[in-house]
Parts: sequence; structure tokens; C-alpha cells
Amino acid sequence: MTQPYRILVVDDEPDLEPLILQRMRRQIRSNEYEFVFAQNGVEALEKLNADPTIDMVLSDINMPKMDGLTLLQQLPGVDPNLRAVIISAYGDMDNIRTAMNRGAFDFVTKPIDFDDLKITIKRTLEHLAEWREALSSRDQLVALQNELSIASQLQQSILPKNPPVTEEYEVSANMEPARNVGGDFYDYFKIDEYVGLVVADVSDKGIPASMFMMSSRTALKGAAIGVREPQMVLAEVNNQLQQDNPTFMFVTLIYALFHPDSGSLTYSIAGHDPPLLLSADGTVTELPLTKGVALGIAPDVVYSQEMVNLEPGDAVVLFTDGVTEAMNADNQQFGMSRLKEVFDDRQPKSAMAANEAVFENVRKFAGDAPQSDDITCLTLRRP
Amino acid sequence: MEFSHDRSGDTLVVNASGRVDGSNASDFLESLQGMFEPGDQKIILDLGGLEYISSAGLRVLLMAAQNLDKQNKSFSICSLTEAVGDVFRISGFDQIINVFPSVADAKQG
Repeated sequence: MTQPYRILVVDDEPDLEPLILQRMRRQIRSNEYEFVFAQNGVEALEKLNADPTIDMVLSDINMPKMDGLTLLQQLPGVDPNLRAVIISAYGDMDNIRTAMNRGAFDFVTKPIDFDDLKITIKRTLEHLAEWREALSSRDQLVALQNELSIASQLQQSILPKNPPVTEEYEVSANMEPARNVGGDFYDYFKIDEYVGLVVADVSDKGIPASMFMMSSRTALKGAAIGVREPQMVLAEVNNQLQQDNPTFMFVTLIYALFHPDSGSLTYSIAGHDPPLLLSADGTVTELPLTKGVALGIAPDVVYSQEMVNLEPGDAVVLFTDGVTEAMNADNQQFGMSRLKEVFDDRQPKSAMAANEAVFENVRKFAGDAPQSDDITCLTLRRP
Repeated sequence: MEFSHDRSGDTLVVNASGRVDGSNASDFLESLQGMFEPGDQKIILDLGGLEYISSAGLRVLLMAAQNLDKQNKSFSICSLTEAVGDVFRISGFDQIINVFPSVADAKQG
């Protein structure tokens, strides 16, 4: 029997404890999670110091005696491998930003959506498990190969796995990792009546790149809250990432915000290949690039954005260069023109069909040639 | 990955050809920096023979550029093929590193 994960919940409002115990009763009964409660940062630190088996902290921000942001600062002193998720008021960007800068792994907003909370806790604990494995491997000085396989598991642990399919929009996303290189990720999340979409490619590989990927994802998710301008989000993420980046790691990405009611899609690109628009009439267009630089390398970069209107039946395909630079045995690249041909006069019937078509064609083209880079593709379609 | 270089006065022109990707990016940086001498003030990297550069390759170029910048030395790249030029344009690296059409332009720039 494995030990349950122990989660310390810190909040001064007495309602949260019964609510968590009730909503998480299945996980508690099946011995997956065990919850411990504290009412403020001081009490939380006491419990953490007394009980080294606590794995994760879920903390509110505003509390008497010691608030959540101060608590965050103290956590590494108790145990550098603790992971924290912050509960914040919706749209409270300043506090979320501070929390992320102080090492929070993720955040949820109030009023708490328990499905979202469950996913966030699960992802945090999955990440923690991978992280512990990475640390123990490092202690044993194992081969680089092993480090890379752990990095790739870290990468998998941050990818969301339930793409939304509604009457208004469909999302389909896949990432096929190369054997040794882990740098791509995708994300999608709801922001009010909008849907945020991300496809990204981190330079380099291994555990440092995975950690950079993690920071990129969290910074973007944080910066995206309540902001309608993707260009502002990218400028913000860029400034956060480049602050402490002595090895010049960088991430290229597209961030798009879709408004299902109107069908408008606004996107901003940071050093990434532009998306493809598959129109309902069967034409395929490369959407215009926007002004910007890969994230993390230069301060105060100005990004621009473009808007496109999706009519019913239109789809947009976001991808990484693993698609266009996939090689066959003759060292030819799959390339943009082959990617466009996948959809030429062949309007996909669903987002999933579009995504599958990309992977199938790349696979067919590459044949037995080894895959040298991650391949990521995300399709958004308006049915 | 192949290199040759040509020095005149305080200007060093390095020709690099082949491919730079994750598998040889650190060797690329080491070889490149191994060619620098203390008297070099202006370093021009001629990438006319470069077939492909991946993001790992861009990253080491950036490291080289920043190192030279710290020593108040000038660094530029030139003669990009269309494919490599696209990589610089799309990634936005052409806004961070000086890019010139030819060695002659880079010498003047």
C-alpha cells in the first residue's frame, strides 16, 4: 500500500475545510490524499516543521498573522522540495505574479472550481513525483540518458489531457516527444468567456529545459488572467523569464485568445512559426507573423498581435518546427508546403481529424528516419 | 560542422558551414570561441555555407554574442541562406544579433 500524499491547506476561512473534505472524499477514502489544515502562515509553518511528511501546500493569500506570500518565502527554508499552489482572488494579477516569482508551482482562483483544483493538485503531485525522481537520479550520478527520460516525463506531466469539445469550439492537441529532446508543450485554458491556447518550444533539453518550460507555462497562465491582449501577455512573460536567465534559454510560442461567441481569434507570436488557417471553403493560408522575439532573452521587447475571424467550419492549426522540420531518410524536410497540402481541398471534419492528419502525414513522410525534435500540433475548430 | 577563418587587422571573419543542432551546438560554441584572440575587436560570422540551425544553435550564437558584447567587441553574422534567414526572422533573433547581407557589408557596419 503506498502512502497517501499529504496536503496542507492554509486558509483563515472556516468554510474551506469541510468543503475540501467533502469534494475530495473519494481521493481521501481511496487513500490517495490526506489533508491537514492550518488557519494562517504561522500555524502552517508550525505544522510543516512538526510534520516532514507533508508534500504540498495549498494556501490562501490574505490571512492574519502571516499571509500566503510571506509563507511562500519561508517554504524553501522548511523543505526546498515542497510544492505550493496559491489560491487567489480572481484577476489579482499583482499577487499572482508575486506568488509565481516566489516559487509557487501554480494557482487557482476564487471562487474555487473544484474540478480545476483537482486537476491542479494532481498535476502538482505528478510533477513532484517526477522532480523527486530527478533528484534521486542526480544523487546517483546516473547517465544523461536517464536525466533526459525524466525530463520528458516532467514535460508530459504539464500537458493538459482533456481538450474541450463543445458546440461552439473544438480543441485537439498532441505532442509526440523525440526520444532525447524535450522542449515542446501546449496548453489551453478558459479565461472568462474566452479560451486561451498555447503552443511552445523551449530551446535545449534535459532537466534545466524542463524547469524553464514549467516556468514559462506558469508565467503565461498567470499573465493571461483577465488580460484580453495577447501582446501584453507575451511582453509580461518575456520580462519575467529574462530576469534570471544566465544561460540564455528561451522559448518560442504562440498565444491565442479565442472568443467563441463572435469567432474572433487574437494571437501574438514570440519567435514562433505562424499558424495556419484552414477555411471552410478548403483554402489554406499561413496567418501573418506578428512582431516579437523569442521569450526570455531580451528585456522590454514589444510584441504585436493580429486578429482573424473564424467562420463556422474554419480551423486554425498551431504547431512547432518539429512538424515542418521533420526529416525523411533523404534528409529532406517536411516543410510548410507539404503541411499546407495536407489540408488543400480537404477540409477536416473535426479538430481531432485535422490533428491526426498532420501526424499521419508527418509520420508517413519521415518513414524510418529517426525523429530529432518534438512534434506538437494544436487545432482549434469552429464547428 | 566545418570552420575556417581569416584575420586582417582587428577583424576576424569566421566561415561556418554544415548544420548546427542540439547534437553539436556546444561543440560549435567551443570551436567558435576557440578562434577568438584577444586582439580581435570585430568578429564576423559568415554563415553562407550553413544549411540548418536549430534553436539550440541560436542559443549558443546568443551566448557568443553576449560574451563579446561584455568585452565591448562587435559581433555580426552575414550571408544567410534563405532557409537560415527565415529561422532568424521568425525567431526574432535578427532583432537581437546584427545581420548583414555580405561580409563586405558586415565590415562596414
